[in-house]
Amino acid sequence: MKKDPYLEKLYHSKKPFIIYKVKNGYDLFTDFSEKIILHNKNIDNFFKKIRKLKKFRSSNKFCSMYIGFFGYQLLCNLIHVKVPKQKNSHFPMGIFYKPETVIKIRKNITIRSSLKNFRNLFENKIFNQTRILSPFKINIDINRYKNIFNQFSKNLRKGKTYQIKICTKYKNKSTIDPVSMFWKLMKTNASPESFMIRDNNYCIVSCSPETLIEKKGKFITTKPIAGTLRKTKNTNIRKAYSFFKNNIKETKEHNMIVDMERSDLSKICKYNTVKISKLKYVEEYRHLYHYVSAIKGELKKNLTTKDIITAMMPGGSVIGCPKISTLNLLNRQEKESRNIYTGAFGYINSELDMRFNNIIRTIINFKGSSEIAVASGVVIDSTAKKEFNENYIKAKSLINLF
Amino acid sequence: MIYLIDHQDSFTFNLEHLLSNYDDVFVSNYFEIDNIKIAHSNLIVFSSGPGTPENYPQTSRIYKKFKGKKKILGICLGFQQILYNEKGRIIRQNKIYHGHQSKIKVLKSSVLFKPNQSFKVGRYHSLKLKEPYYSKETLITMRCMETRVAMAIENKKDKIYGFQFHPESFLTENGKYIIQKILSA
Repeated sequence: MKKDPYLEKLYHSKKPFIIYKVKNGYDLFTDFSEKIILHNKNIDNFFKKIRKLKKFRSSNKFCSMYIGFFGYQLLCNLIHVKVPKQKNSHFPMGIFYKPETVIKIRKNITIRSSLKNFRNLFENKIFNQTRILSPFKINIDINRYKNIFNQFSKNLRKGKTYQIKICTKYKNKSTIDPVSMFWKLMKTNASPESFMIRDNNYCIVSCSPETLIEKKGKFITTKPIAGTLRKTKNTNIRKAYSFFKNNIKETKEHNMIVDMERSDLSKICKYNTVKISKLKYVEEYRHLYHYVSAIKGELKKNLTTKDIITAMMPGGSVIGCPKISTLNLLNRQEKESRNIYTGAFGYINSELDMRFNNIIRTIINFKGSSEIAVASGVVIDSTAKKEFNENYIKAKSLINLF
Repeated sequence: MIYLIDHQDSFTFNLEHLLSNYDDVFVSNYFEIDNIKIAHSNLIVFSSGPGTPENYPQTSRIYKKFKGKKKILGICLGFQQILYNEKGRIIRQNKIYHGHQSKIKVLKSSVLFKPNQSFKVGRYHSLKLKEPYYSKETLITMRCMETRVAMAIENKKDKIYGFQFHPESFLTENGKYIIQKILSA
């Protein structure tokens, strides 16, 4: 990639910015004129604000958008699922930014800004370097994991849930330079929903593979992932496909998610427009393969952004099934806040088009601590040890960055 | 109008779309029943859902109130809900079917479907009907070809029908045909 003096200056400053992967490169957003910290009481105002975006469509259409994330708890509360008091770091429930400068990083770099003097908007502060002060520790050991696993297996037999994801967290004490970490990650693991946020008091580095919502005009697509296979010397994409296809456990888990996402889309789509556009294909990553499907529908008229978000979030494939009952089981079990994990990052623009991912495969650094959360599914044929290990494979490419 | 009672399942809206091919569909949560709308419906559908029939006394009350007066269809949990109210016992099964495709066969007892006809269907259930089960009116009309588990019931007199499998699943090959049979019954 070409070096650009403005970008270099930006990376080495302390200025907040966001990078989001797009098909043929990256979009970078900065010079935020608004930063909205979300909580249960102002979320409806935020949705009102989004509607105004449409009314006052300015000449600066390229930056007339909000970009940021909804945390897990906020998404639960939006669908009236309560989360009991948990151990948490008091990280905001959601943050959205309105950018004034957008940089398209492709073969060439194009910079557009609604501000005249954007090239000079830098403070004389220097970015953080990555410093590791303690090694990564897991918050749930194999024995506790087995306990939780067995409890959930019981609920599966009782029919209270058909699939549920146990979340474990790796944590260390550190400060990180998210920019160099992100580009390093993109060299080895540029997944379709990768993103990075650097702000003054926190940063996030993510190689999320999963598109939860892609809305363009009246059409909406979701691409759920269910199924993970570890890469070895002997695997390739074709072998991975035949592994998934012939593995009854993976197939059933995937089927369930496909029907679930069809139903979520059916809440907001016109009758009989919800179609599986691509059933069961394999995506390849540095350490693993994923089993993916794509489902598309045509949205009903007169829906609000909130209608779409509450129908689809939190994303079913990262929670389990059925959604409400499984969320309640999860929330009663988990002692530590999921924070941004299994929330959603993305943007909403002045056309009310949007793109959101499921926040997984993500490092969040806040208050001198880095956290990587992972989860894998308990279905009827899974075993505690295998799922515990699957969690580690998922965290590996991120832990290796340190 | 079809009144679809949602037991907060993550498959209910697939069923809504399938039913919409035949009539207007109104969906509500099982704990937020619109009494006027349900009284004006031609068909009441009990959706699938987590847990057991005992967990949904509201739905049992609706079943008793409208039995014999309106056509009723139960899917998965809804199927079990009907049997539970017809003195059936719903028990756990050893092998659990979540996201499983099975072949099922129509029995001679069926009025709606041709005996010996077979379908590939999608299943999501950890519970099943305890057998033997005897009822004069509620007849078992389909079974899993592999395990013999009850997959459908018909009560011709009261027009009450149920499927243990999910006609709306993408795993079910003849979902439309199956629902059409119920609507025209």
